[in-house]
Amino acid sequence: MMTITVPDTAVRPGLWQRLAFANKTDLVTRVLVIAITIALLFYILLPVYWMLKSSFQPNQEIRVLPPIWFPGEPTAQPYANANRLIPMWRYVLNSLFVSVTAAGISTIIACSAAYVLARFRFPGATIILGLILLTNLIPAITRVFPIYFFIQDLGLLNSYAGLILAYVGFSLPFAVLMLRGYFESAAPPELEEAALIDGCGYFEAFWRVILPVCLPGIAAVAIFTFLNAWNDFLWASLLLNQGEMKTIQVGIGDFAQEGGGVQYVNAFMAACVVATVPALVVFVFVQRWLVGGLTAGSVKT
Amino acid sequence: MTKRPTGPASSNRKVLARHTTTLALATALTTATALGAYAQDISFWTQPQGDLLAYQDLFDELTSEFRDESGINVSVEVINWSVAFNTWLTVAQGGAAPDCADMYWLHSFSGIGAGRFGPMPITEYRDRWPTLEADFYEGALEDVHRNGEFYGIPWRVDIRPMMYRTDFLAEAGIDAPPDNWKEIVEQGLALTERDANGNVTRWGFAPGANNNPGQTLMPYYWQAGGLMMSEDGRTATIDNEAMRTTLKFMQDLVQVHKITSPEVFEKSADPLADFTSGSVAIIGSTNNSWPSQFDRDYAELEGTWALEINPAGPTGERDSFSGAGYWGVLYGSSDVEACLDWIEFLSQPEHMERISEVSGAASPRRSVMSSALWTQRPWQEVMAETLNYGHTSQHPSAVWNAIASPEPGAVLYDLVYNTVIGGADIDAAVTEAQARMQAELDRASGN
Amino acid sequence: MTRQKYLFCYLMVAPAMLITAALGIYPMLFSLWMSFVEYDLLRINEFGTPFVGLDNYVEVFSDPRFVQTLFNTIIFTILAVAATLGFGLLLSQVLNINYRGRTALRMLVCVPWFVPPAVASAIWMWLLNTDRSPINFLLQDFGLITSNVRWLTDSATWGPFSIPMMSIVAVRVWNGLPFAVIFLLAALQSIPRSLYEAAEVDGASLMQKFWYVTLPMLRPVLAILITLLVIGGLGSFEINYIMTGGGPQNLTNIMAVYSYQQAFSFFRFDLASASSGVIFLMTGFISIFYLRSQLKGVA
Repeated sequence: MMTITVPDTAVRPGLWQRLAFANKTDLVTRVLVIAITIALLFYILLPVYWMLKSSFQPNQEIRVLPPIWFPGEPTAQPYANANRLIPMWRYVLNSLFVSVTAAGISTIIACSAAYVLARFRFPGATIILGLILLTNLIPAITRVFPIYFFIQDLGLLNSYAGLILAYVGFSLPFAVLMLRGYFESAAPPELEEAALIDGCGYFEAFWRVILPVCLPGIAAVAIFTFLNAWNDFLWASLLLNQGEMKTIQVGIGDFAQEGGGVQYVNAFMAACVVATVPALVVFVFVQRWLVGGLTAGSVKT
Repeated sequence: MTKRPTGPASSNRKVLARHTTTLALATALTTATALGAYAQDISFWTQPQGDLLAYQDLFDELTSEFRDESGINVSVEVINWSVAFNTWLTVAQGGAAPDCADMYWLHSFSGIGAGRFGPMPITEYRDRWPTLEADFYEGALEDVHRNGEFYGIPWRVDIRPMMYRTDFLAEAGIDAPPDNWKEIVEQGLALTERDANGNVTRWGFAPGANNNPGQTLMPYYWQAGGLMMSEDGRTATIDNEAMRTTLKFMQDLVQVHKITSPEVFEKSADPLADFTSGSVAIIGSTNNSWPSQFDRDYAELEGTWALEINPAGPTGERDSFSGAGYWGVLYGSSDVEACLDWIEFLSQPEHMERISEVSGAASPRRSVMSSALWTQRPWQEVMAETLNYGHTSQHPSAVWNAIASPEPGAVLYDLVYNTVIGGADIDAAVTEAQARMQAELDRASGN
Repeated sequence: MTRQKYLFCYLMVAPAMLITAALGIYPMLFSLWMSFVEYDLLRINEFGTPFVGLDNYVEVFSDPRFVQTLFNTIIFTILAVAATLGFGLLLSQVLNINYRGRTALRMLVCVPWFVPPAVASAIWMWLLNTDRSPINFLLQDFGLITSNVRWLTDSATWGPFSIPMMSIVAVRVWNGLPFAVIFLLAALQSIPRSLYEAAEVDGASLMQKFWYVTLPMLRPVLAILITLLVIGGLGSFEINYIMTGGGPQNLTNIMAVYSYQQAFSFFRFDLASASSGVIFLMTGFISIFYLRSQLKGVA
């Protein structure tokens, strides 16, 4: 069998070099792909750019036609205004706290459940899985009042704990399902059996052997939960809508006033930018685990 | 034997510790709030009007003055409009509620609460305000009465005169804004401008200043002599000549004369942007907060806009949309007397004047509207005069707000949208709407 | 030994089950119950909640708007999932190739994911506002169109399709694309290089490599992704509600918006539950297939 030299990944070729093509259909394919990709990039980035640039412009410039693509005199005043109108930074901290806590708790609970559902056969496993899947299908609107009164009865209304509890509850089904699939495919039974033979208890096998290998999947699920909690408006506005503990999404909603028309458009855009950035930062932080750690899959070949 | 693992277990402990802290914090917070309720404290919720910060500052001042006077501590919570509706809906079903509050839509929330939750009648305390009828405008008082019961003191009136661009009218050689429906069409035609491609760059007329078809319809319907329902709230009265006339008028604006944008009722409509950027010349029924907002935020438009009382309909009536917010007490209030003291304090003429100044909203108190505060600018005088033509937008049926909801699928929304924007046959639409509205009214009156 | 194993299993599952019971099963049962009784906020304090059997479902199905909404929901979901999948596959391929600046590009592609749907709707509403859209302006500048496109308000239809529908699908795809890209990227990375090299030796072109190597290897992941996207799509709410409220003339109305309006604008929680009960059934069907395929592994 001929051996083929695999390019050394330590030396990263530039994009242009990668475009060296073997045959003619490849050229057509490549050109098409690049064209579509550029169009997609434009489509993806246009609103983001618009949001960003509007947050640095005076109000009148934003609504004008022909549109002003580059702010003439960029000013950070909208950010200051936004913080005067609502305690923006405080709200961002609230959101961070709630989202991170919810993601953490949810991931731990989901990991535990998903692991045993993936690995072990025990009476009731199928039913439990089925129930968890079922609750994933309920649209949020119909849950609103039952859950509101439930949280009120627990005395957790307008508290961080109540909202966190709600977020954990909503994210569990998805997390359990994802992790179950992941545990099944990414961690071979041999690892576990080896640990068990060594004398580990079930829990220790889980902690020390399986979890580290499955970190990318776990990180992915944690990120999804974090994002869903971060972006949520409906539940935050219902369960935590007073005083200083509001999340940033509810804070942004505060900008909207009755009768149509946003009073400070640029400050609104500034607040939107601020609502987006922290999530992005957290993601950048975590994404190393997401994609990098997947070389653990090399056990399969 | 296996060594005791250090890494994972210690982070396990950290998580447990964080867990416990959160739980402890939550319990502490709940207890603290509960304890706080036993001092002579009342809670008061209000929606903001005008500049958010100024409004909050004002209430800080008022509560501290009130505390000095009476020893009662009022804790104020500002409920933003984006969550206001859901908040009050939940209150009306038994959710967490304050002792007293700035409320609106008395009929709906009272209907849902049905005597257990939500706004509470204070008829027995009415004699605290012996000169109520003399002091307040009639239209505003209508908004605080239901089934003969009295619910509180109105504090702001949403009154909607006509608003127009004086510079555009001058350009077109028009002396005065339209005085009746016929002139609306004439002036609208003169003021509408188009570009080379035929796209409209300036619409001559916009019937309202929000994208709510039901609210936009009402003043014109009243001006045509129509009424929405009988006084007992049981019978729908929209199948008549007045409704057909009104809808034809509005439909022609869009379809025949093309002086009104077909986008006006869409969710993406931005009436403020339209008017401030000069895409609209005349607004038939403006947003109540705009004039003071323009004074404050749009100084560059100074001198280019003005208010006028609404043009007269075919019957000569000039009804204007009016809606009042009011201060009232809620079921379950921990101290009704203290709440009433607070409301009485707020309703003093000098306090209502301050509130009116900061919120920019017209006051239902006559003395405020004739004071120096409301006679400085020409638009203020117009607004005060329009109050005399105010027709309350609330109706004595709890289901009214479902009928008039700004969502597609609501009776009035469909009626107006399908005919005016969609060009549907008016007769059929009105007949259908009457039937639907009657079915809705039957819901609430127990049929 | 087995008892210890079972104990372990139940302990591990317990927290999840507790929370699911409280926040998932209880609301689901409550909402199902609501769909079989009269639950009209304006009558409930006087008349309570009498059992009405299937009346709510009948009432809901006799509303012509509802039936159209049902079709809309299915079409929206199909369009959105197809577009997300298509573009997702393309982008993940591009982002998978090893070149400088790849990480930066990945970051850029992911940004829409972090924009909350409410914010995304607000911004896109701006960009698609008929009279003031920069996009309309650019298109007219380049001479591609002669009058403003009414992105969100044009009620002309071609069969079941309309411009507002396309616009909203575009926004939904915009919001959901990063999710698909990340998902597929992770999966792509686990495809062994050797398979591609073998194909190259055989002289495969790019398209052939994609068709015969990538797609088959991705099949299990694609199944999961499609299921997730469909379930998410069927329940999607914010974008449609904020941008068009279901208009113009019911063209962009979807089940979740219909349900929300019934509950919060018209105070009819029974009808709202009935209509969301219908979605529930639909997503239930799909999930049964998914569950079947998952459980095949647990022989």
